[in-house]
Amino acid sequence: MADTAITARPASAARRRRKRNTGTNVAALLIAAFVALPLYWMVAASFKGQADITSASAIPPHPTTANYTNAFSSYAFGTYIENSAIVAVATTLLVLALGIFAGYALARLPMRGKTAIMTALLMISLFPTIAVVAPLYLLLRDIGWLNSYQGLVLSYTALMLPFAIWILRNFFLTIPKAMEESARVDGAGPFRTVLQVILPQALPGVFTAGVFTFVAAWTEFIISLTVNNSDRYRTIGVGIALFGGQFTTPYGTIFAASAVAMLPIAILVLVFRRAVVSGLTAGAVKG
Amino acid sequence: MTSTDTRGGPPQTGRRPEASRPARRRPRPPRSVIQRGSARLGWAFASPALLVVAAVMIFPIVFSVVMSLSNVNVTGNGFQLSGLTTHNYSILFGSPRYWHDLEFTATYTVVTVTIEMMLGTLVALVLERLTRARGWMMALLLMPWALITVVSAELWAYIYNGVYGMLEAGLNTVGVHGVDVLGTPLQASIAMGVADVWKTTPFVAIMVLAGLVMLPADVVEAARIDGASAWTIFWRVRLPLLRPVLAVAVMFRILQAFGIFDLPYVLTGGGPGTSTETLAVLGYKVLFNDLEFGPGAAVAASTALIVLVVCLLFLKVFRTQVAEQEG
Repeated sequence: MADTAITARPASAARRRRKRNTGTNVAALLIAAFVALPLYWMVAASFKGQADITSASAIPPHPTTANYTNAFSSYAFGTYIENSAIVAVATTLLVLALGIFAGYALARLPMRGKTAIMTALLMISLFPTIAVVAPLYLLLRDIGWLNSYQGLVLSYTALMLPFAIWILRNFFLTIPKAMEESARVDGAGPFRTVLQVILPQALPGVFTAGVFTFVAAWTEFIISLTVNNSDRYRTIGVGIALFGGQFTTPYGTIFAASAVAMLPIAILVLVFRRAVVSGLTAGAVKG
Repeated sequence: MTSTDTRGGPPQTGRRPEASRPARRRPRPPRSVIQRGSARLGWAFASPALLVVAAVMIFPIVFSVVMSLSNVNVTGNGFQLSGLTTHNYSILFGSPRYWHDLEFTATYTVVTVTIEMMLGTLVALVLERLTRARGWMMALLLMPWALITVVSAELWAYIYNGVYGMLEAGLNTVGVHGVDVLGTPLQASIAMGVADVWKTTPFVAIMVLAGLVMLPADVVEAARIDGASAWTIFWRVRLPLLRPVLAVAVMFRILQAFGIFDLPYVLTGGGPGTSTETLAVLGYKVLFNDLEFGPGAAVAASTALIVLVVCLLFLKVFRTQVAEQEG
């Protein structure tokens, strides 16, 4: 590291660094344990049978996949996951299609009131969903879109667009202007300029916005709970929340469904780790 | 080609620079056909997205406010708004439950955000020093953040279960028995806070870490050469430099925590009693369980109003966020 390179006494610096590393590693291990333990507990419970679910043993005494078969054959968790996937993918595509052009316009084109629009969008993206859920319910009921994919996709698109526009705009700002000017000189129209010249440059930003939108749509709860109450269109989060009886909670089945619901998100986050981190920090750091 | 950007201008004022700056290095020509054309193009590009947001986010917020100020009659096949009234708000403000929930939500927000900021900064400092496996740590930290909140709520309910939960098992080994965490108000609030801290501290940590990495190395180096201890450097040099990043993280977390719904709804159901009921849970119950759309809208609208006030308090942070990127 650069900060130790200039130290006058290399021997003591090395010793200090070693000591420092031990402390850091121990702390990191504790953090990792605090984060990972509940997740491990969930996965372990999903492999415990009816008799073992109440046992505190960290390793399932009689590992079984019965919960998984149960969740997807006896109960409709397969349908819920399918619904979530359809809604999340459609929302992501729609948000990106609308957000890319809006983000580009707000980053580059001379419009009045851009600062006000960006501020308003950022505020809206942080507004509590409870503030919109009742009118949204009435609106969707009036147009007959309760218990449908399109009602949820429309709601989610509006809910997630502000943040996506914000991420995309910040990425567009970092692209050199010369690119578009040469495209214009070459006679490319504005649509072609955005799609063929700007977009390839802003691909990391598009991934970031896409991953954020997908995760937000996959995990959204209150709107889905309100507008899609039929089993046919229920999403996975709501399905898990409403599962269970009056007196007992069938945790084995719940966690089997949860583990499967976590899988696409976990893969997405692992594959696009950089994109997610840069999105989380878009608010903290310039471009 | 005349550039139309505001580079070098004072973006922090949020005003258009040309009026206040008569002496530019190059005199600005009148807006050309191309520029006017591209402004129009800008609106053409932005308006589909802005219209969707206006119709499906802004209009409902405004409608909540209108609904909260109206007599709402729920009929067989819908509902009617008639007449302006403050009745819904007098119901609300006369209800001890509302004041309790407001106080609980505010206290919960302040306490959890404070803890998350401190822990998040600590975690970020550890990650910054970590030389090995930092990528894996980041990936692990992102898991709780990306988890469906409902799932994490069920998971913590399982851990907190008074009969066979992991916590109970752990307490049993040190001789403590029969602690029903979710059965008593204060313990249930703390339990909910722990679940929240588990899920959102990584978010804070990653934001702060990005801020730490971006700090100017020479300033820290200069302090080190001057003989400042690591402790002094952190408090006197790095923390002040980190303030803008911390402000953004605090703002994000306060606004998210204040509107929290999923976790209390699934983990505690607002209980025992109404002890862990947040404003969002109250609003939902009044709207969709009691079907009291007037008072329910009043809960939603008053929550939105409080959030708006907090937003305005943070307006400077918002402004720097928007302007910083332009400058």
